[in-house]
Amino acid sequence: MNTHAAIVGLGMTELGRVYGRSPAQFAVEAITRAAADAGLTLGDIDGLLVNPGIDNHIDLRLQSALQMRNTRLLAGIQSFGSSAGQMVQQAAMAVASGMADVVACVYADAPLTEGKGAGASYPGQRRAMQGVGVLAAAAGLKAAPERYAVAARRHMETYGTTSEQLGAVAVAARQWAVMNPQAQMRTPITLEDHQASRMIADPLRLLDCCLVSNGAIAVIVTSAERAATLRQPPVHVWGWGQAHPGYVNRRGSDFGLVTGAARSGPDALAMAGVTVEEIDVREIYDCFTFTTLVTLEDYGFCAKGEGGEFVASGALGPGGSHPTNTGGGELSSHYMWGMTPLSEAVIQARGQGGERQVPKHDLIMVSGNGGVLDFHSTLVLSPHELT
Amino acid sequence: MLTPVVRDDYSAPFFDATARGELLLRYSPSSGEWSEPAAMVCSVTQAQDLEWRASSGRGELVSWTIKPGRARDDQPVVDTVIGVVEFAEGPWLSLQLIDLPPSDLRVGLPVRVDFVQPEGGEHVPVGRGAAG
Repeated sequence: MNTHAAIVGLGMTELGRVYGRSPAQFAVEAITRAAADAGLTLGDIDGLLVNPGIDNHIDLRLQSALQMRNTRLLAGIQSFGSSAGQMVQQAAMAVASGMADVVACVYADAPLTEGKGAGASYPGQRRAMQGVGVLAAAAGLKAAPERYAVAARRHMETYGTTSEQLGAVAVAARQWAVMNPQAQMRTPITLEDHQASRMIADPLRLLDCCLVSNGAIAVIVTSAERAATLRQPPVHVWGWGQAHPGYVNRRGSDFGLVTGAARSGPDALAMAGVTVEEIDVREIYDCFTFTTLVTLEDYGFCAKGEGGEFVASGALGPGGSHPTNTGGGELSSHYMWGMTPLSEAVIQARGQGGERQVPKHDLIMVSGNGGVLDFHSTLVLSPHELT
Repeated sequence: MLTPVVRDDYSAPFFDATARGELLLRYSPSSGEWSEPAAMVCSVTQAQDLEWRASSGRGELVSWTIKPGRARDDQPVVDTVIGVVEFAEGPWLSLQLIDLPPSDLRVGLPVRVDFVQPEGGEHVPVGRGAAG
C-alpha cells in the first residue's frame, strides 16, 4: 500500500455532564464539527465507522441521520475501549486501497443521567444470571472496577507495585487536566488526596477510576495527499497494531501481569519504523490508573515490573521525562473510550495544546484498551509525512 | 450476598453436582488437561472432547479484591471478598471467599470449595480457608 493515511479533522462535542441530547445527536454534532475542522463538507464523507458505547446506542442508522448518499464504507466497530484505534486502522486501510476517500470515525455515548451519580452509569452484568458463564459475576465481579482490581492486585503482589504508585498516575493526569479547558476535573490533587479517596474495589480507590462522560468525538481520515490540501495540519498515521491476548483462565495465565500492549505496541512501532525510545508523547487508555502503568510497561517505556517506580518518578507529568496523557486522560479530562487518548494525540501532533502543549511532539503513541485488558489497539502518529 | 444463578441445559450437570457438594470442571481425555466450567474447547489443546469431571475442590489464591460493604441502619458493614482461586487441576474460578479476614489474604493461600444456595437459585461454589 503506497497511499498513507492522515487524520485531518477532529470534532468534539461538549463533554461530561451534558444532558438533553441522545448519543446519535452527539454523534452527528461531532462528525459535523470534524468535517468543518478539516475544511470538508458532510457531502465529502464517503466512509463511516461507528463505535457505540457499551449499550450500543448508535449504529449504522447514523448514515441516514447524516443524509449520506455516497457511502462506500459503512460498519459498526465494537471492540470496546480499543475501538477508536481500530477505526483509524480500518479507515487507513480503506483509504490506502482506494475503497473510500474520506472516512469519518465516531464514538458517542450518554451514560450519565441528570440527578444520578456517575457510579450508576455502568452497573456491569445486567443479563439474567443463568448458567456457568455468570459464576464470576454472581460471586461479585460485576462491574469494571472490581474486575480491574483483581488484575491490579496480582501486579502488586507479583512486582511490589503500591497504591501510592498508582496514585502518582492520577496526580500526573490531573496536573495535565488543570491546563486543559475541556477537562471535566481541573482542581489539582495530591497523593494524599488519592490515598484519602474512598475505596471502590480494593486496591482501587475513587481517584484510580476514570470519569463518566456524555458526548461524542469524531475524527476524519483521508489520504496524506489530500490531507496536504486541507485546513488543518495533517496528523499522519505511521503505524498500528492490535493484540487480543485471550487470557487463559487457568494456571500460567498472564492476567494482570502482561497485556495485549506487549504485542500491539512493538507491531505498531515496527510498522512505523521507529523505536519506543523515539516516542515523544504517550496518550494511554486510562480507564484506571493501573491500566496506564501496565500499558507503559508493555510498550517498553520501562522494564516489566518496574512500572510502579517509573510512574512514581514524576516521568508522566508536565516537565517529566515521558509526558503522558497530556490532556488529563480518562481519569481527569473525559471518558470517551479510545477517543480520549486519540483526540489528545491529534491536538498535540498539530501543536494546538495551548498551555499543555508538549514542545517536542514528532512521534505520538496512542493506546486503546477494552474488556478487562482483553482487547488492545495501538497507533503511532506524527505531524510529519511518512516517507 | 451472592446473586442467585439459575441453570440452563449446559449447566444442569454442574448444578446437580454443586447441590450434592461437588465441584465439576471440564476435562479433556485426549490432553489430560482441565478447563473452567464454561470452557467449550480444551484450554490447553483446543480439543473438543471435554467432559464433566469432579475436582478435588482444593486450590490456592491467585488474586483478590475487597468490595467495601455499604452502611445500612443498625446492620454491621460487611465487606465482600472475591478471590481468583487456582484449583489443583489448573483452572481458575472467581469465588466469593467466606470467613476469610482481609489480613489473611495472600498469594498461595490454601482455599477449599464450599457451596451456598442463595434464595431463588442453584447451589454455587464459594471459597473458604482450607484449614477452616
